[in-house]
Amino acid sequence: MKFFAFHLMPFDKLPDDFEEKYETAWTWVPNSLYDPIHGHSLYNRYLDELIYAEEVGFDGVCINEHHQSAYGHMPSPNLMASILARQTKRVKIAVIGNALPFYDPPTRVAEEFAMIDVISGGRLIAGMVVGGGPEYNSFSMNPTYARSKYQEALDLIVRAWTEPGPFEHYGEHWKLKYVNPWPTPYQQPHPPIWIPGAGSKETIDFVAERRYSYMGIPYFHKSFFKKNFDMFRDACDKNGYTADPEQTGWLVPIYVAETDEQAWAEYEKHLFFFINKLLKGLVVFPPGYTSAKSIARIGSALKQFLGNVKNREQVEEGGYAMVGSPETVRQKMKDYIQDLGVGNVLGLFQIGTLPADLTKKNMTLFGEQVLPYLRKELGADVVDASAATST
Amino acid sequence: MTVPHETSFVKLGNKSIQLTVGGEGPPLLYLHSAGGETEWTRFHDLLAQSFTVYLPAHPGFDNSDGLNEIHSAADYAWHYVDLMRELKLENVPVVGFSLGGWIGMELAVLRPGLVSKLVLVNSAGIRVEGVPMAELFIDELDKLRALLFFDPNSPYVEEAMPLSFEDSRILLWLKAREATARVGWNPYLHNPNLPKHLFRIECPVKLLWGRNDQLLPLGIGEFLEKELPNASLQIFEETGHMLPFERAEDFVAATKAFIVE
Repeated sequence: MKFFAFHLMPFDKLPDDFEEKYETAWTWVPNSLYDPIHGHSLYNRYLDELIYAEEVGFDGVCINEHHQSAYGHMPSPNLMASILARQTKRVKIAVIGNALPFYDPPTRVAEEFAMIDVISGGRLIAGMVVGGGPEYNSFSMNPTYARSKYQEALDLIVRAWTEPGPFEHYGEHWKLKYVNPWPTPYQQPHPPIWIPGAGSKETIDFVAERRYSYMGIPYFHKSFFKKNFDMFRDACDKNGYTADPEQTGWLVPIYVAETDEQAWAEYEKHLFFFINKLLKGLVVFPPGYTSAKSIARIGSALKQFLGNVKNREQVEEGGYAMVGSPETVRQKMKDYIQDLGVGNVLGLFQIGTLPADLTKKNMTLFGEQVLPYLRKELGADVVDASAATST
Repeated sequence: MTVPHETSFVKLGNKSIQLTVGGEGPPLLYLHSAGGETEWTRFHDLLAQSFTVYLPAHPGFDNSDGLNEIHSAADYAWHYVDLMRELKLENVPVVGFSLGGWIGMELAVLRPGLVSKLVLVNSAGIRVEGVPMAELFIDELDKLRALLFFDPNSPYVEEAMPLSFEDSRILLWLKAREATARVGWNPYLHNPNLPKHLFRIECPVKLLWGRNDQLLPLGIGEFLEKELPNASLQIFEETGHMLPFERAEDFVAATKAFIVE
């Protein structure tokens, strides 16, 4: 059982009337709303929060890639990961992930991930993602090739890490005469591969078949998560093995305060800034991004998506976020982790406009009063916070 | 009053192509739009009163397969080179609406002998500097109908597209969008190389355009009229992109007049 602190690095200053004036926080959101002076302190603050996660005893930190969006203005997670590789000593650094079809050629991912792995002394978790729906608009990248580009890129990257170069690659999408990345990864044969999914059957089967790890990342009702993790375990069975719990991960917003009442009083408006403003107008599935059948299936599950949640009661009922006193969050999370059968929790401790002081308090309370309990109850290894892998 | 018509499948290489044929008279090939109007509809019926209408579904649309072989509108045109040979059609009038117009132009460039006359209705395929095209690949069906129709509340909307995600035609519609995105996502709904080939389309061309087309504005029709050696433009007032649905009678009358003249 592993606990990660996930950061989206959202832009937290949008006008109060954003919902009325703007159609979306993605792709078309005018970048005149961005303020680089504020961005300067924001990026540094967010990095401090991830570094703090190591101090409080987390197993790892997570960052991810988005483009042209206030939801997460971290277009290059690898830049952030390389800073973290230097500024942390012990935690795993999970990049979830690089959107492979947008790297041309994708051997850039093999190189950059290997760099981070080498700098950090083997602490990288290499997330590889198809790329969010909106990104296909942001890059004018044809979504009908999303899957085939992704698979070709992923296979090529793994080959580049494991086969001696130079070798030739003549695929459908890339023709490379010399594949020979320098450096090669610190971890052998290569860093762990995590693949996030929104519930496409295609992704679940693909991950199970290759024995990578499946991260359920979007903010769905617990029942939809459960269905997807069960589907994944079934797919592993069909491939002739039992899924290791650590092959699954669950992304969830978490907020801990002194009491339940205080937690909600402090958290609610920041969570709803995220729901109402940052998730607004998210185009989940551009045409051809996944099969028409999967689009129809997930399209109907969108009623169970956090973006359509209206109040605190619905958040609690659907398990969209874990909010409350240390005791409440301990019990809830234990039940959820056991029910979902997941071996990794990816907690979002900052969300929307949640300010630095509350984020820090949240992480401190979680680290001191929730983490040790969950580790004990769920039989996870105790982390020695002083141990360091790098020099 | 529906003209008899029949849907069957044509085997073409390793793909199976859905084809509906109906009506009497000289043959006419109808190339459908991104909306995938492959069901026999009101204006097909009107055309079939004067022509034998061939209405195939492009690969990837409706029950035609073969999208994996399609990477551009020119690939669609090559597909029609093959299909027309199979159907023994040559030197016939071709009517193309939107995406179908684009394919029609590409076809006339590749094999001029196959096309006797070309009718282009609110045609895609060309980008004109200063004439911005709107975004077709949006999910909200209400916004989409407002974009495509002059009157988004017209009864003809229902003929042309699903009204909600609960509509039974939604899977078909998602397939049509995927196939359209395959050739029209980037470059967006056009082939940057096409303008330099337009001089090769020597057959008579009739351009039919809705004055209020927001998706592919009239400026594109005006550009085509100028660049095609033998073209004339006819503008329809108070109609948007979905001209054949919004003005079925006028569309068919104009098409017929041009072809039989």
